[in-house]
Order: sequence, then structure tokens, then C-alpha cells
Amino acid sequence: MIADLGYAALMIAFGVSVYAVLAAVYGMVRHDERWVTSARNATVLIFPLVLLACITLVVSMLRGDFSLEYVWRVTSLEMPTYLKVTALWGGQAGSLLFWNLLLAAFTCIAMLRHWREEHELVPYALAISTVTQIFFLGISLFVENPFARISPVPVDGNGLNPLLRHPGMIIHPPMLYLGFTGFTIPFSFAMAALLSGKLDDTWIRLTRRWTLVAWLFLSLGLILGGRWAYDVLGWGGYWAWDPVENASFMPWLAGTAFLHSIMIQEKRDMFKIWNMFLVLLTYILVIYGTFIVRSGVISSVHSFAQSAIGPLFFGFLLLMTIFSLVWIFIRWERLRSKNRLDSVLSREAAFLLNNFLFLGILFATFWGTNYPIISELFTGDKATVGPPFYQKVNGPLFALLLLLMGVAPLTMWYRTSLKRLEIMTRWPALAALAFIAILFALGIRSWVALLGYWIVAFAGIITVLEFWRGVRARVKKGEAPWTAFGRLMARNRRRYGGYWIHLGVVVMGFGIIGSTVYQQQTQLQLRQGETLTLGDFSMTFQGVERFPGPDDLIITEATVDVYKNGTFVKTLTPRTELYTRTNQPMTIPDKRSTFTEDYYALLINWEPMSSDLATFKVYVNPLINWVWAGGFIFILGTLIAGWTDPLLLREPAPARRRRLVAGGAATD
Amino acid sequence: MAETTWVNNEKVLVESRPSRLKFVIGGLFIVAALGFLIFNAMQDTTQLYVTVQEYYANPTKFAGKDVRIAGFVLGDSIQFTQVDAATTRLEFAVVDDMANPQQTMQIVAMNEPMPDLLQHEAQALVEGHIENGVFYANQGGLLLKCPTRYEEAAQHPTDQ
Repeated sequence: MIADLGYAALMIAFGVSVYAVLAAVYGMVRHDERWVTSARNATVLIFPLVLLACITLVVSMLRGDFSLEYVWRVTSLEMPTYLKVTALWGGQAGSLLFWNLLLAAFTCIAMLRHWREEHELVPYALAISTVTQIFFLGISLFVENPFARISPVPVDGNGLNPLLRHPGMIIHPPMLYLGFTGFTIPFSFAMAALLSGKLDDTWIRLTRRWTLVAWLFLSLGLILGGRWAYDVLGWGGYWAWDPVENASFMPWLAGTAFLHSIMIQEKRDMFKIWNMFLVLLTYILVIYGTFIVRSGVISSVHSFAQSAIGPLFFGFLLLMTIFSLVWIFIRWERLRSKNRLDSVLSREAAFLLNNFLFLGILFATFWGTNYPIISELFTGDKATVGPPFYQKVNGPLFALLLLLMGVAPLTMWYRTSLKRLEIMTRWPALAALAFIAILFALGIRSWVALLGYWIVAFAGIITVLEFWRGVRARVKKGEAPWTAFGRLMARNRRRYGGYWIHLGVVVMGFGIIGSTVYQQQTQLQLRQGETLTLGDFSMTFQGVERFPGPDDLIITEATVDVYKNGTFVKTLTPRTELYTRTNQPMTIPDKRSTFTEDYYALLINWEPMSSDLATFKVYVNPLINWVWAGGFIFILGTLIAGWTDPLLLREPAPARRRRLVAGGAATD
Repeated sequence: MAETTWVNNEKVLVESRPSRLKFVIGGLFIVAALGFLIFNAMQDTTQLYVTVQEYYANPTKFAGKDVRIAGFVLGDSIQFTQVDAATTRLEFAVVDDMANPQQTMQIVAMNEPMPDLLQHEAQALVEGHIENGVFYANQGGLLLKCPTRYEEAAQHPTDQ
């Protein structure tokens, strides 16, 4: 039977992984190249084996083999084919298998790509990431087996949770998992540097590249998750500081701090120990995040049930942490930098402050997320903090971070004069002030919003000016403006990719402030022909219809006409869908979405006896599209920054550092 | 700050290096600020978790306080009423343990849409306060988790 084949493949993958680690360690200790090569060959096998296991599971789902408990849980006969395939990550056991697949793929790619050129590091890196693989394969095999059977065999399955039947939910988890598993590779290279004692620039280059890959996927996963929540969950928001959201946000924060501080190491050969800690922290948070999501240790909307995997994760986490810390300690003297910070007003110090702020946000988020555990431990009462906690603590920290994001690119390596900073920030500061004066004149009175917009505008203006300066310098040399712009990006991908990312953050900042401070909502029951008003909008209820949809669905759909300042703008059809077989209702909002605001309507009650009465909940979310647009720019910037020249990668490190320092100084 | 002026002379550069102390003080200041922010925010955002049983064991402890309750929903108790055009009232009872549904807590949520996941055996997480044995939910303070597992929402073979 095909599922048995999948289970066997998983078993073999487990055995092969164990062998690969042992062979790699033995080969490295004995300096025996044959064992190392054998370890490599074994590692290359893991990916196809786990892939085979995934394929057999997907085939079982496509064929409706409900003798497998997992297939029964997440699929049903009437589900469309694409959902049967994506149900692979629709539940606990399957998503852990999928985790394994992505990790195996990353390890395989990283190894094949760097085997020849980084031969001193790769065998160690292979061993470290395969240890992670062993842990997750073990969980898939012995705790959360996707090939477990049920008897008697049911005729039909339960089907995927309707909330998860959304395009956002089909791509959001894979992106998040790609981000999560991706961080294993930079960690492995950092550990490889510690274990091998080859502590030059090589590991930082590899680690930075792979961190950027993982970071790209994690950012994408976070943005898509927010979009899914906004479209599906029907509370008019996109981020709730839910433990599971925080679990994926925390490694992102640590990774972001690392991507910044790594630049100090590249240019000044400083902060090596700090960077090691950041890589370790990111990895720990990835495993911890998976643990939070999978164990249900902290109550959350997303979490799967309490399961036995909690202690296992904790044990593994502890093991890896101690192992890494011991090795950082062993190499401590060699990692210490001979260089010191020259001035509190320098690029280095700005990056350091950036790191403190990111870690501050990380700590606050960690504290809030784990407060139920902490408080129970120390006071005996389980207490929790809600979204207001995060807004109060992380709000000011993010504001400072944005301010720093504006100023930092103006600082120079080694030291910067206060005067220079003053000259360069004076006009942007005044322009931002003029901007909020206009906002004030337009009626914005919330000081939080005004201050926030001042900071965002200030950072935005400086970032745009950086582009402008670069282009102007090239135009002066005789290039056409667009050519100059294109070449500026192409020659300095990391720098200007980074600025694109900053611009994305600025655009998102506009959206987040607007939609957080100025969200409006109301709820009202309407008779046919009646109107409700909210802000500039009014909405007239035209009628409600009930009709059968595809499969077992019964759809109740209301028709409302939306007017803005008295002018008709759009007819909306908010509705509820009832999956009759499982009696699961689903409320589907409808919205009118523009650049300035979203009008978001939910049908929340309808009296079946009197079809002319219906209750609506409506939201006006200002600037929410800026959040998504900012996200898009952000991802674009990451792609630009990550698209490193293949030539640059092969260049010897010292030459490269010299050139980068020179390049950085020249553009200032 | 003398060392902040731009100097090219290597000798001056070395002499005017700030001591480590400056960075340590800066770091401590940031840690202190973070501590203050967290401490300050905790003052009015902390909620005690309460179970139905804990409440009945010591009702006065929770009276009037902002608390959060987690419990399983009794399907028969769910009521959604339109009080008047501008007001809806959602009411249901939760228990600690489905196998032992004697002690219940009545939850009342005003102007709150009926959550899609609100059904028998679903786990409800509600923020609010308790008044005379009735739990009044805060606006937006109602959160539902699927029965037993997120992945198997609404899928007890016996229900079908």
C-alpha cells in the first residue's frame, strides 16, 4: 500500500540522517575524507526520501484513503483537488512532515551549493542542520505520525476547516515554514565556524545570505498571515498580538537585528560574539515558535491541541542552546575583536542602538507572550496581558526605531560630527513638521497620530533623499536620470535594497498608524431600505437572499449600497456561508477598498422569519491598503538586497571588505 | 561633546575615544527605559485567568476585576438576541470540563457578532469582568477556538 511506502521512506530518512551526522563527525575528527563524503551522500538522500513520504501522503489524500487518520481529519471526498493537496499542511502531523521536507530541501541546496568552495565549513554545517532534521523526523515518526491508521475505515473524511479554505491560508503557512526552516541554515554555518575554528569572514557571508533568504520568506509569511486575518476572520484587523503571531514575529525581530549588526562585523571586524548570540537566538526562537504553535502551551486562537511534543521540544531546545553556548565560550578569545567603538555618534553605534531596540521589542513581546507561564510560576495565579500591553510597550520602541531608521543612514563609519547630522536632518525635520501641520489643519488632533506621522514622514523624506543624492551624483557624471537610478540600484544592491525595505516600512507605518488610531466601527439592525451612517459613509440595506452554493453550502447574502459623502460608490454583498454537513457557519465580509480607506461590512444577523431585517457590523479602516503596499515594497527591497552578484560571492573576503568600506565611504 | 567633531588625525582619534562607560551607561539607560515601559504597561493591562471552578471557590477574589476566562461552550445555551436596532446580546454558558458540566459560568457579550466557531464543545476565551456570577465580555474580548483541535473544527462524527 502506498502509505506504507511513505512511512518506510520516512523511517529510512531518519536512519540516513543519523548515519549522516555520525559519519560527518567521525570523518571530521579522523580527518578522513571518505567518511565526510559518505555523510554528504547520505544527506543528499534525505530530501528525496522525505519528498517521497510527502507524495505518498498527498496521493492518499487525492485518492481519499480514509484509513489514514490524517487524511480523514483534513480532507473529504467533495473537497476540490487543490485543497486536497494543500491539506498536506492543513493539520498538525502533515505540517510537521512538510516542515521536514522544507528543512531537507534547504540543507540539500545549501550543501550542494557550497560543498566545493567552503569545504572546511560545510561538513559541520551539514551535521548541525541534520541534527535538527533528526529531531523533526523523530517527531513525525514517533509522536505525530501522519501515516497513523484508524479503524474501522470511515466512508468520508471531515474536510479542511472552512477558515483555512482561503488562498491566503494556502500560501501563508508554507512561507512561514520556509522562513522558520530557512533559519536553520545560517545557524548551522555559524555553528560550523565555531566547531571548525575557521572564524574568518566566510561564515558571516554565508550566514548573511541564508538569513536573508529565510528572512524574506518569514516577512512574506507574516504579511500574508495579516492579510488572511483581515480577509477572513472578520474583526476588521490584521494583527492581534496573539501568541502564535508573536511566535513567528520574535524570530523575525532577532533575524532583523542580526542582518543589521552583521554589517558592523563585515566592515569593522567587530561584534563577532554578539552576532553569534543573535544567530543562536534566532534559531532558538524558531524552534521555540514551532513549539508554541504545536504544543498549545499558551492559549491562542491558532494553537493545536495540547500534545505530547511539548517536553520533547523543550529538551531539544535546551540541548542545542547549551551546546551552542559552550562552543561560543570555547572560541570566546578568538572571537573577541581588537577594534573598539570610536564614537557614540557613528554608524556602528547606530547599528548597536538598532540592535538594542529590536531586542527590546523582542523581550517585551517574549515577556507578554509568556506572561501566563511566568506569572503562574512566581505568583501561582495565571495572568495574561492583551494587545494594549504590546501597543504601550512596543509602540514607543517602534517609534524610536523608525526615527533611528531615518537618521542612521546619515551617520558615517568610525565617527560623525553632530554638526553634519544637524545639517542633514534640519530640512527633512522641518518638512515633516510642515506635513503634520497640514494634517492638523485637516482636523487630525490625536497627538499619537501626529507624532507618529512626523516620525514616519521624517524617516521617509531622508530615505527618498538618499536615493535622490545617489541619482544626482550619477546624473552629474552624464547619465540619464533613469539609467542613473537603475545603475545605482544594480551597483549597490545591498545598500539600496535596504533603503527600499526602509521605504516599505515607512509606507506600512502610514497605514498602521491610520488604521490603528482612526478605525471606526458600528453595529445596527436595519429594515429593508433603511440606512446606517459611519464617518463619511452611509449604507442602505437593499435586501437579503438565501440560496444553495456549491457542495453542501447554503449562502445568505445581503445587498447593501454604500455612499460616501452622499455619492453612491459601490454595492456590497456581505454574506454568511453555512457548511450544512458540519454545521459550520462562515461569515464573509465584503469591502470597498481604496487607497484612502476600506469600508468593511459584515452581515452578523438575519431573522429567517422576517427577511427584511438584518444586522450589520461595519468598519472604516483608514489607509489599510498602505499596509499591504508597504509590505509589497518591503519584499521587493529584500529581493533587491538579496540578489547578490555571483561574482561578488566568489571574491576573496578581505578584498571584498576593503572595497565595501571604500564604496560606503564614497557614497556618503 | 568634544569627541563628536570630525577628525582625520589618527592621534586625536585615539585620544578622544569614548570610554566603555559611556556605552554601558547608554545600555543601562535603555534597559531601565524598557523595564519602565513594561512595568507601566502591566499596571492596567494584566488580567487574571480564571476557571469556572476557581471562581466559585473564591468569588470575591475576582469581583470587579478585569479577568479572562477559558471554558468549553455548552451548545444548547447559545442565544443571540436582537434587543433593539442598535443592540445585540449574545449569551452562552461555559464549563471547565465537558464531562462534568455542573458548574457553569454564564457569558454575556453585547454588540458582538456571533463568532463562526461558537458551537458545542468549542473553547471560548473571554475577557471581561464578573458581576453577580455573570461574566460580561469586553468589546472585542471574545475569542473562540475550535472544538478539541483547530484542525478538526466542527467534525465530531456523532454530530453528522
